[in-house]
Amino acid sequence: MISVKKVNNRPLNFLERIYLPEIVRGIAVTARHFFTNLLRPGNILTVRYPEQTIPLPGAANQRTRHRLKLRADGSPKCVACFMCQTACPAYCIHIEAAEYAENSVEKYPAVFDIDLSRCVVCGMCVEACPEDAIAMDTKEIPGGALTRRDMLLTKEDLLRNLPGEPSLLGASNRLANEYLEGKK
Amino acid sequence: MTPFLYAHQDLLLFAGVGLAKVIVFMGGVMTFAALLTLAERKVSALMQDRVGPNRASVFGFAFNGLFHPIADALKMIFKEDFVPAKAEKFLFTLAPFFAIAPVIALFAFIPFGDYVTVLGYRVDLQIADLPSALFFILALSGLAIYGTFLAGWSAKNNFALLGAMRGAAQMISYEVALGLTLVGLLMIYGTAGLQEMVRAQGALLLGFIPAWGVVLQPFACVLFLIAAIAENKRTPFDLVEGESEIIGYFMEYSSMRFAGFMFAEFLEMIVIAMLLTTLFFGGWQVPYLYEAGFTLPGGRAIPLDHYIVSALQVGSFTVKVVFFSWFMLIVRWTLPRFRFDQLMALCWKGLLPLALLNILATGAALLFLGKL
Amino acid sequence: MPKITIDGKTLEVAKGTSVLEAAQLLGVYIPRYCYHPKLSVSGNCRMCLVEVEKAPKLLTACSTEAADGMVVRTDSDKVKTARRDVLEFLLINHPLDCPICDQAGECGLQDYYMDYSRAKSRFAAEDKVRRQKRRVLGPHLVLDNERCILCTRCVRFCSEVTKTSELDVMERADHSYIDLKEGRSLDNNYTLNIADICPVGAWTSRDFRFKSRVWFLKKAPVACLGCATGCLAEAHHNENVIYRLLPRPNAETNTWLCDRGRMTYKAVQAGDRLAKGVIKNGLIDLEPALREAATRIDEAKAAVGVLGSPWLSVEDNAALALLAAGMKTANFCFDFKFETGIADGILVNKDPSPNAAGAARVKAVRGGLELQAFAAKVASGEIKTVLAEARAAGLIKDALKTSGARLITFATNKGDIPAGAYATLPYASYFETAGTFVNYQGFERRLEPVVAAPEGVKPFWAVVNKLGAYSGVLLRLDSADDAMRGLEKK
Repeated sequence: MISVKKVNNRPLNFLERIYLPEIVRGIAVTARHFFTNLLRPGNILTVRYPEQTIPLPGAANQRTRHRLKLRADGSPKCVACFMCQTACPAYCIHIEAAEYAENSVEKYPAVFDIDLSRCVVCGMCVEACPEDAIAMDTKEIPGGALTRRDMLLTKEDLLRNLPGEPSLLGASNRLANEYLEGKK
Repeated sequence: MTPFLYAHQDLLLFAGVGLAKVIVFMGGVMTFAALLTLAERKVSALMQDRVGPNRASVFGFAFNGLFHPIADALKMIFKEDFVPAKAEKFLFTLAPFFAIAPVIALFAFIPFGDYVTVLGYRVDLQIADLPSALFFILALSGLAIYGTFLAGWSAKNNFALLGAMRGAAQMISYEVALGLTLVGLLMIYGTAGLQEMVRAQGALLLGFIPAWGVVLQPFACVLFLIAAIAENKRTPFDLVEGESEIIGYFMEYSSMRFAGFMFAEFLEMIVIAMLLTTLFFGGWQVPYLYEAGFTLPGGRAIPLDHYIVSALQVGSFTVKVVFFSWFMLIVRWTLPRFRFDQLMALCWKGLLPLALLNILATGAALLFLGKL
Repeated sequence: MPKITIDGKTLEVAKGTSVLEAAQLLGVYIPRYCYHPKLSVSGNCRMCLVEVEKAPKLLTACSTEAADGMVVRTDSDKVKTARRDVLEFLLINHPLDCPICDQAGECGLQDYYMDYSRAKSRFAAEDKVRRQKRRVLGPHLVLDNERCILCTRCVRFCSEVTKTSELDVMERADHSYIDLKEGRSLDNNYTLNIADICPVGAWTSRDFRFKSRVWFLKKAPVACLGCATGCLAEAHHNENVIYRLLPRPNAETNTWLCDRGRMTYKAVQAGDRLAKGVIKNGLIDLEPALREAATRIDEAKAAVGVLGSPWLSVEDNAALALLAAGMKTANFCFDFKFETGIADGILVNKDPSPNAAGAARVKAVRGGLELQAFAAKVASGEIKTVLAEARAAGLIKDALKTSGARLITFATNKGDIPAGAYATLPYASYFETAGTFVNYQGFERRLEPVVAAPEGVKPFWAVVNKLGAYSGVLLRLDSADDAMRGLEKK
């Protein structure tokens, strides 16, 4: 059974039916915008992005380009547990694990790639990380690039330009930091 | 001077002047068409509170997007010139020429000024003053249908063919309306030569109203504008091409072949603007400006140099053409597209009867009021 | 026959059945860590506590024998509380390094915590007992004492299954930990089973270590082709890479899987994998290699000998038999008589080849020479060109050496190619193509492909088919089963 909604629109009067006066009214609106913007370009809403930025509204501020956090000794906090790769809905994270020869953390990512061309900036990787190792707080918005390679963030890219912030969060990192303490 | 040149002096002079007019006028038209492709995007942007294209730059200077037509042309040239495997290769290649050649030919009959006297030689500011120019224009614009239909058919693509069918139906229908709207003018001016029509529009009605076509035939003017936009397949009549959602007749075209169709559309826009100016808005006429200078309705006269008068007239023509081109851009970015049945109903049930009525009314007026 | 009621369901069980086993028969799952069906009952993990009517305290289901009229509840509040409390005890000293633990995803602690506890730890992280982590014990295993819950499955495995007793629980009570006995090393052939039966991440495999997370792995049933025992196994693979082999316990053949058998998958991904043909020592494309081999076969004509192989599937042996018939040579052999039987009392067979029984099936229909007679013919020079799978060629290598007969082999890996082989043609391993094997007990093992073969590498029967075509014998094989149909016709 198709449900039918009856709409009682006002019947068009003669002038509206011949359409031309309405066209003139429409053109008047668009022409007004045209001349206003021609004479006073200040009303234009476009943000000329790379040169010009505006503060992002609301939650858009919270998720920007990823970074990997560091431990006190400069090693990545990431232990290659693959939780982010598992949680990622866009399959943009690629990790290859490796083993420290001598360190109570044992495991670290030899390869940690994020393909920004696939990333949907959902923040699930940050949510999933048990070691508080990945964050999306760089305030850099992943933008366009000229090559696919430029859209690929490697481990080195993700560790670059970061404030050193040793943290006790995460079980394996607790061990690592204790290990570092012991070394001192 | 050799005897040959001496014997054919007049002919050579005529050819030389004709060539010079073609180069100057067509050069101007082509430049204007290129700028129009940019204007299309800039005007739409400004209407919608955007900035429009502004990135193409030469050595870092973008001039707010002035180089975009050049960038577009370069891009078009370097795109792959693709021909579908099953296409009719010859006709597929021919179609863009069929689209663009008749449009370019139309410019020959447009008077863009009265005349100038150079070194004692009278130069008409019109490439070819044909007594039957109006019929010729209608005939040539009829040829443009071939470009559309050949493109859709030769690509051997069902969607392109459907687009071409829509196009042919639309263009043939509006061809009729377009022709009939002009009959009123023919009856009033009694000539089909465009220069003569423009000169006739220099007269005054009741001593102070310029006798422009729009004053004598206001109805025909509106009908002509509608029919002409439809003939040019622009929004709100763009369901032939429907670049936003429907797939049009040139869907298999790429590279410069596609650019041919695109450019033909912009040239056609200029032709329409020029025809509208010439037929209904006095062409190069400036109100109260005559050969010797201004003669205001009160009888006061301001004498002007011949060259200034000519410059004013050419300038007036240019301003009118630019205005109507801009008007067509605004119309395109303001109005939504018609449905196909609405399109056909508008032509056969709207424009055609009204055009016929207009002819009847004009005939009656001429009969009762006598010749103008 | 005692009649027992568990959660309202009544069942008559054999005498001596434990409550846990009776519950299993009834489809009631009782959580357990130390209980293992193939090991003795220890009863130390306390996870399987159940409420038994008229018993003053909760009893461990694994060590309580089912008695007539016994009424057991596994879902009462008392049992639930007990489980939660036991888990809390077990987790007190657990390091919670799941992010770096290979067991994560198939870990008893994780699973039971989610099923039965979900309580927050009341102990401060600093107070956890520290033990040695990452101890490499033996060629295959790593031990993490911090993660251990002292269920002693590993200790019992070593003393009861392999009877080598390398492991024991050291010290007492809170200080207890698992360690090797002094002067011993964990190097028996079954150590990787310890990683399997360890319910937590204390024992992990060195081979699988950090290679992949278990939840990415897909499981495919296979059979081990390491020897004639033909243990059922499970290949864990992801994105065309096999990561490990685990046993598929069954009543007939195996509960465990030996370490050597588990490593058989490595040849599939090995660096010396053949993807092209080899003429003498030089790699060339498959097509010219096939043509060259076919030319040599044509040269020798009736002096060609075709040797089947107990390392090939029944279908592929049948394809070789068809080739021999097509070439109208009487010199073919599908008869391999190895001594069979379990060599070490657990799994490893005296017969090192997986399919001698399968080759015998081909022989039963097609006849052919005995291996000794074949070798003698090669040695005497009667057979000038031998067509044989690489490992089977090893069986007659003395004869080949004495006569200098030309050897055309088929091999999956470069390392398999016998010395002095004239031409070698690559074929897809049985992780990459289907095939039937028959183990020493006569059970058929139908193998299905798990991963894709390297580009250009074809199944054995397809290589034989092509080789036949190039030497004028049209076998018209479109699949492995086509070779079998040919066999049945004759």
